[in-house]
Amino acid sequence: MDYYEENPDGIRQADLVVGIPSYNEAALISFPTLQASLGLMQFFRGKKSVIINCDNHSQDGTKEAFFGTETEVPKIYLSTPEGVKGKGNNLRNLFKKVCDLQAEACIVVDADLKSITPRWIKHLGEPLFQDFGFVAPLYVRHKYDGTITNNIAYPLIRSVFGRRVRQPIGGDFGFSGKLAKLYLDHPLWDEKVAHFGIDIWMTITAISSNIPICQSYMGRPKIHKPKDPAADLGPMFRQVVGTIFSMMANLDRTWKAIRWSKPTAIFGFGLGEIELPPPVSVDKGALYRKFHQGEETFFPLWEEILEPENLSKLSEVLEMSQEPFDFPTDLWAKILFDFAIAYRDRGQQGEEILDSLIPLYYGKTYSFVLKTEEMSAQQAEEYIEDQCVVFEEARPYLDEKWGPSPS
Amino acid sequence: MAKILIVDDEEHIRMLYQVELQEEGYEVITASDGHRLLERIDKEKPDLVVLDIKMAGYNGLDLLQEIRNRYYNLPVILCSAYDSFKRDIKSIAADFYVVKSSDLTQLKKTIARALESTVPPEGA
Repeated sequence: MDYYEENPDGIRQADLVVGIPSYNEAALISFPTLQASLGLMQFFRGKKSVIINCDNHSQDGTKEAFFGTETEVPKIYLSTPEGVKGKGNNLRNLFKKVCDLQAEACIVVDADLKSITPRWIKHLGEPLFQDFGFVAPLYVRHKYDGTITNNIAYPLIRSVFGRRVRQPIGGDFGFSGKLAKLYLDHPLWDEKVAHFGIDIWMTITAISSNIPICQSYMGRPKIHKPKDPAADLGPMFRQVVGTIFSMMANLDRTWKAIRWSKPTAIFGFGLGEIELPPPVSVDKGALYRKFHQGEETFFPLWEEILEPENLSKLSEVLEMSQEPFDFPTDLWAKILFDFAIAYRDRGQQGEEILDSLIPLYYGKTYSFVLKTEEMSAQQAEEYIEDQCVVFEEARPYLDEKWGPSPS
Repeated sequence: MAKILIVDDEEHIRMLYQVELQEEGYEVITASDGHRLLERIDKEKPDLVVLDIKMAGYNGLDLLQEIRNRYYNLPVILCSAYDSFKRDIKSIAADFYVVKSSDLTQLKKTIARALESTVPPEGA
């Protein structure tokens, strides 16, 4: 895929790149662009830096807003061809450009970020000049912001790929120039990765390639456009979860040797008082309702996908009233493992399999909300950690059901 | 036989852990504080570290970051009389967090599990 480029300063080489992927973010892109420039000037003055907006041919004036932001750091605009969408496609263009510029390091921040400070640039960038190859963000989030992360991505990555990366789809990352080349040449690339699957793909690729990883503490919460977990999340869910399942299938020789999980180094302390994230409201009734609507549509497919003992336990959960309600984490882990196997074995049915998982995710999220609604952020965090331990303890089930890796 | 390094400023704790863990079949070495801890780890190459948090003159959570940055996959179990340090974000760089007790069952179980963990080394 070729990209369109505007490089008014004629930049041909850089040490450090900040990439800002976007699609129709004219109203918001100025702020992260300015903060990136301030961060680069304050903390990386000795490096040749450039800010790159990698865009999906936005028609709302994103490019003009980007170039219209006054910055000391030079800027480049890249775009996919008209009609080609996807954050992954934007980042693929960025990987190419990082390689062309022979940059040592690249930082990516979302275009809709409202809470970014110059220090975020320092924290995402500095470890890359200290032997780390990939930097994941670590920020305080509201317990109901990031329910795919809390209930699927984090526990699955931890229990399958063995590394504890708390925000594997955080959207803001740092990676080395060497890793950009590895990303660019990586054989696993599909339509899901080209869209919202890109964040989890980058994290899993870094983990499975044994790249030194750290988590950088951002100090402030990530404030962007929060989403109600009960709202429609179909495409994002399919892209993120489908990418995890694909990578499980493609990398099984790597992860099958892994037992339990290891923590990840942390970077960035001394930021003073921790700022609390804004509240995220949840429509509990909608979560419960959507869980049961799924039964009407997908039960025959669940019968095909799930092992009989898991289907039986799920049937018990389906019989529960709105309160008290509980979706046990051990059952949830085994359901995800059964779905990963079905996704591997029934490629043509992949989309339907992912669609049929969504109502179950709503059911688990509903249970999570009930369990944690009286909890502080810290208590909810400990609950999530406990859930991850349950996932790790369920891992022998996955090993047994998955079967041997192809030789 | 796995080698375990106990880092704790209380002598009776070091002795208790040493005796009990040796009975479990581990080789045990001890340190009374964080002084030259990384050098000690370099020299002794333990398979696991049990690290106290609140020590006279040393903060186990800061020592943990130094260990983690240098020995990426070395299992470290934080062992403290207080569970409140769990709230400190620095504690997540540890493999496990155990609250001290005269009954070492939980610590022994956690050590066994930490030693079982297998992940490929970085840069492999």
